[in-house]
Amino acid sequence: MIFTIAWRNVWRHRVRSLVIMTSVALGVWAGLTLNSLYIGMGNERLKIAIENEVSHIQLHHPDYAREFTQAPVMNNIQTALNQIETVEGVKAVCARTMAMGMLATATGSAGVQITGIQPPNESRVTQLQTKIKEGTFFTASKPNSLLIGAKLAKKFKIKPRSKVILTFQDASNELISAAFWVEGIYQTYNTALDEVMVYVNQPDLNKLLNLTDQAHEIAVLLQSDDFTASGKNKIATLFPDVKVQTWKEISPDTELIIATMTQASMVFVIIILLAISFGIINTMLMAILERTREIGVLMSLGMNKLKLFTMILTETLLLVLVGCPVGVFIAWLLITYLSENGLDMSVFAGESMGDFGFSNIIYPDLLPAQYVQIIMLVLITALISSVFPAVRALSLKPVEAIRA
Amino acid sequence: MSIVIETQNLSKVYNPDTIPVYAVNQVNLKIQRGEFTALVGPSGSGKTTLLNLIGGLDKPSSGKVIINGTDITQLRPNKLIDFRLHNIGFVFQSFNLIPVLTARENVEFIMLLQNVPAAERNKRVETLLQHVGLGDKMNARPAQLSGGQQQRVAVARALASKPQFILADEPTANLDSAAAANLLDIMAALNREENMTFIFSTHDQRVIDRALRVITLVDGKVESDIRR
Ligand SMILES: Nc1ncnc2c1ncn2[C@@H]1O[C@H](COP(=O)(O)OP(=O)(O)OP(=O)(O)O)[C@@H](O)[C@H]1O
Ligand SMILES: [Mg+2]
Repeated sequence: MIFTIAWRNVWRHRVRSLVIMTSVALGVWAGLTLNSLYIGMGNERLKIAIENEVSHIQLHHPDYAREFTQAPVMNNIQTALNQIETVEGVKAVCARTMAMGMLATATGSAGVQITGIQPPNESRVTQLQTKIKEGTFFTASKPNSLLIGAKLAKKFKIKPRSKVILTFQDASNELISAAFWVEGIYQTYNTALDEVMVYVNQPDLNKLLNLTDQAHEIAVLLQSDDFTASGKNKIATLFPDVKVQTWKEISPDTELIIATMTQASMVFVIIILLAISFGIINTMLMAILERTREIGVLMSLGMNKLKLFTMILTETLLLVLVGCPVGVFIAWLLITYLSENGLDMSVFAGESMGDFGFSNIIYPDLLPAQYVQIIMLVLITALISSVFPAVRALSLKPVEAIRA
Repeated sequence: MSIVIETQNLSKVYNPDTIPVYAVNQVNLKIQRGEFTALVGPSGSGKTTLLNLIGGLDKPSSGKVIINGTDITQLRPNKLIDFRLHNIGFVFQSFNLIPVLTARENVEFIMLLQNVPAAERNKRVETLLQHVGLGDKMNARPAQLSGGQQQRVAVARALASKPQFILADEPTANLDSAAAANLLDIMAALNREENMTFIFSTHDQRVIDRALRVITLVDGKVESDIRR
């Protein structure tokens, strides 16, 4: 009967209760949707980072560092690539030769990172080929072809077939200059990288650097991130003299961004919950004030404090329990729809997302555990905010309450 | 005859530090089982205060309230709530009932608090509501009942808990004379037939005339105590 009283009390002020229920529903909906957006953004960021920049696993000489003008190389690359391809979960591998250098054109010069790639292998590991905006992707049979980022191309008014001069050091610290012909202009999501990365054919670069079956970097794409840890272990046992790193080690900032976004979305959820709890406390305090006399009668008759407390608590929880599933359901519908169709963020953010290495279309996603987590938080909020009004009710004195 | 209620030097002082008001002043009373007592006196004479003290709703400044041998002024708050639930029936002046519960549920509720089994509850609810003449209003909400009907439900609820006695503070104050007479008929009949002890305060001479004992309070003191 305590439940009956609580339930009927909820409906005494139909409009007021509906307002609270609606705000709970809205709050839950907003919290879930926001979280899914952040997670979608994180997933997208991760996918972009893996497919365009870091891959899942990379191999380098133990003393390798990207900043070196003359970084140490790994040997017997062709055999290594073949061996890595047989590791479980590996989708594709490619090798790269790097050099730090200068790019000079008729209109100016800039520091660049020159990467020698194996075009067919590279295309299976990264999305570079799909990012070609103008020109072609190493299909010309001419030697010394080069791909350049759109931003840099624009800066120097470079077009396909333009000639540029690359200057860098070889293994014996000799300064080397060579003419390259721009074959294509690419544009990725990461405009910062686009400005410094130029791509050439690995054999061309190796020849200039006096390298043979050698490379600075091997990148491994896996079937999914689930294989990252096991893949790293297996590859590391195959090549004990080489440094094997996962994307988390190579690009800690990517992991940090994703962790930060999860935290940021939690901050929003907590703000929403605080707002909900103020609404609940306010409504219930009002309800108790209105029912002072009634509560006085219940106390006089011999309803003990525990039962009174339970009654108020139940009433508060009911307010939340009606609103919460509605919010969850609407959020679930929306998230499910958007996770398939995507949400074009350029509507809200213009093209600026791309400047931060994000894609413009994100696919919101929320795991069941994350739904549960937020629902639990809402319930805990409801419990905490109902304690306050319940304690208020208990503090009433029957004689005074009855006179009210 | 056994004594159900006894007060010993019972006093209640409001504002003891500033301008003390002796709402109840050294009251010594003995109420026997089966008495039908009216508590009368001018406004402010302390009737409500005395009933609240006897009902364990208020703490006295000094003195004792002994109910069936238990000094309720010594009970801890939780024990006192439980004591009220099992020993004292209350009828208040107005707005007695829980608005969201039907007449039947209002009566049943107190037995639920007492953990009375369902079968017995149902039987008693029907008997009691029929007894107060509301057999056909069992599923009505308080708002759908007249003032007199609401007070009768309150009497049925007070009885449902099988109390030692029933306290009623001006139970007829908000009723027209016909409804007041009807309520008094029901109370008197319960007193006669079931030997239920009633103490009620009132200003209404017609109600006073129905009482078998009339205690008059003036300035918190018992001025007269007449049995008829
Ligand atoms: N909470 C309180 N604080 C201070 N004084 C109070 C309080 N309650 C009652 N009193 C005083 O105690 C005295 C007795 O009041 P009480 O309500 O018991 O009178 P009553 O006989 O029931 O009056 P009425 O016939 O008007 O209901 C009055 O003088 C009243 O002003
Ligand atoms: Mg009074």
